[in-house]
Amino acid sequence: MPELAISTRGLRKTYRTRLGRKVVAVQGLDLDVPAGGVHGFLGPNGSGKTTSIRMLLGLIRADAGTMTVFGRRVPAQLPEVVGRVGAIVESPKFFPAFTGEKNLQLLAEAIGVPRRRVGEVLEQTSLAERGDDRFRSYSLGMKQRLAIAATLLKEPDLLIFDEPTNGLDPAGIREIRETMRGLGNQGRTVLVSSHILAEVEQVADTVSIIGHGRLLSSGTVAEVIGGGTATTVKVAVDNHEAATRILAAAGMAVRADGNYLLVDGAGQPAEITRRLAHQELYVSELVPVRADLESVFLELTAEEKI
Amino acid sequence: MVRLTTVELHRLVARRMTVIGVVGLLLITLLLLFATWLEARPSSAVEQRAAQSQYEIAHQQWVDGHVANEAACNEQWEKQPDPKPKREDMCSYPEPRPEEFGKPPAVFAELMPDLLHGVSYLLLFAAFLLGASFVAAEFSTGAIGNWLTFEPRRLRVYGSKLLAAAIGLVPVAVVVLGVLVVGTYLIVDQLGSTATTTGKVWGDLLATAGRAVVLTALGAALGGVIGLLLRHTAAAIGLAMGYLVLVEAIFGNLLNKVQPWLVRLNFEAFIRHDTTYYVNQCSSTSDGGYLCNSVVKTLTFERGAWYLGILAVVLVVFGAAVFHRRDINS
Repeated sequence: MPELAISTRGLRKTYRTRLGRKVVAVQGLDLDVPAGGVHGFLGPNGSGKTTSIRMLLGLIRADAGTMTVFGRRVPAQLPEVVGRVGAIVESPKFFPAFTGEKNLQLLAEAIGVPRRRVGEVLEQTSLAERGDDRFRSYSLGMKQRLAIAATLLKEPDLLIFDEPTNGLDPAGIREIRETMRGLGNQGRTVLVSSHILAEVEQVADTVSIIGHGRLLSSGTVAEVIGGGTATTVKVAVDNHEAATRILAAAGMAVRADGNYLLVDGAGQPAEITRRLAHQELYVSELVPVRADLESVFLELTAEEKI
Repeated sequence: MVRLTTVELHRLVARRMTVIGVVGLLLITLLLLFATWLEARPSSAVEQRAAQSQYEIAHQQWVDGHVANEAACNEQWEKQPDPKPKREDMCSYPEPRPEEFGKPPAVFAELMPDLLHGVSYLLLFAAFLLGASFVAAEFSTGAIGNWLTFEPRRLRVYGSKLLAAAIGLVPVAVVVLGVLVVGTYLIVDQLGSTATTTGKVWGDLLATAGRAVVLTALGAALGGVIGLLLRHTAAAIGLAMGYLVLVEAIFGNLLNKVQPWLVRLNFEAFIRHDTTYYVNQCSSTSDGGYLCNSVVKTLTFERGAWYLGILAVVLVVFGAAVFHRRDINS
């Protein structure tokens, strides 16, 4: 079993609305995040991602369940590991009237990090030239970068990013994605929560999908995708009718899709080529249609009736 | 804890609200000194001539009539039923003196205690406001969530914030009170009288100023607690104003027996080293009537100190319990 950066068992949190109605935000979440690499924490809006992250960081109290970060129980032993954890929860929150540098200096002083480290992380996040400007004057992308700079002050082993690309333009999204991938490549653990699946698919090594506060699926991206749907192959051939008959006779499921045939249950795609060529039908295009995370996600969450 | 408190002090000093508050306090102090100068400066030549002429008229009237007046008064005194008032109380016609006419000279020993009491209210209000804003800003901006991801031990975080607010406002109070006392002394020394400023007077003034500094620190810490509980500076100020108007002013006046349990009177008892208040005591009379008398009561310094101390402890403990359990969702 790989070392775990985060583990939760039976994690539960309910809220009361202003009208007194009980809302279950997280119900018995079992989550394992392996140490090292990028772990996508996926779920639709309101599925309990942010609540789970807040519980892990000791910001809100769990009603039931256990949580560990690097083997330490949280929140009881959180002070022992908090120096190894950097986090941005939802939008970056700093003192708007202070400069970016002043905000970081206060945080650095609080954890006993030398002042020069502030300059280093500003440099790392390309904010050195705007460090003297007030936080309130920053663009959303700069605010996000300042939040990342704050997490880097501790040189953490675990970084938690909650919806880090919300509101960013494409260039900002790409920048954050590269930053996360870079951190993961350095051997740090990055937990990134998002409801934008294509984005996570590009950076994550492993993912967990939650819905209604419960874990629906977890594993490497390939495992999760493979477990969701069977592989389909897209075939271009001149004689659709004959090809359909030959492949169906071999036990494959065939359906038309415009100028192509979509074939399921072929096992190896080469089997399709072999059988058609044997009947003198020659394939001009053969493309395995991989299931993506989005289709798996929609499939899983549909089962949960989300 | 020391490191956290130091960081919070840096934050307090760097806040624009703190700078505005301190500048405002110093401006008000300078205005008070200006008012003292206006009050202490000698009257104009015209006023002095008018006072002299009033004195001369009064003295002439005394010369002309005091013997006859005294005799007439003595006659009246003899006719008074027993127990008679003292003759010298009833029939004393002292000779007018020039200093009784016109503007009396400013006396430092008389002027300074009232100024100190007034400024201690101002300091308390400013400290409460700055303390409330200092802590509430973290909640209204959401920065507290970020802060707790760096230091999750909430009681330390809470303690450091209150300590920083209290410690940070102490030098402000010392400077304001120092400027006020020294400035007033210099003004009155030039324009009035400082001759009666004995060692005891200085001791009393120093004690009053010391108590004002203690209350400033307490006000800042309690402002912090209220700011934390309500999470918005405006709400904290609204609560304080609402309390002063509804409880202290309206309720306290309607039911004057509750005054010893209200904050303002205990504050006064602490800062003035004992204070007095009036209570209406009503009873039925033998002829079937109903008579109310205003009775003067004293609230002691010790009572005020205990009251404020217990109030502070209760609020600080309550704030700690709330913050310890509160979910940080913003």
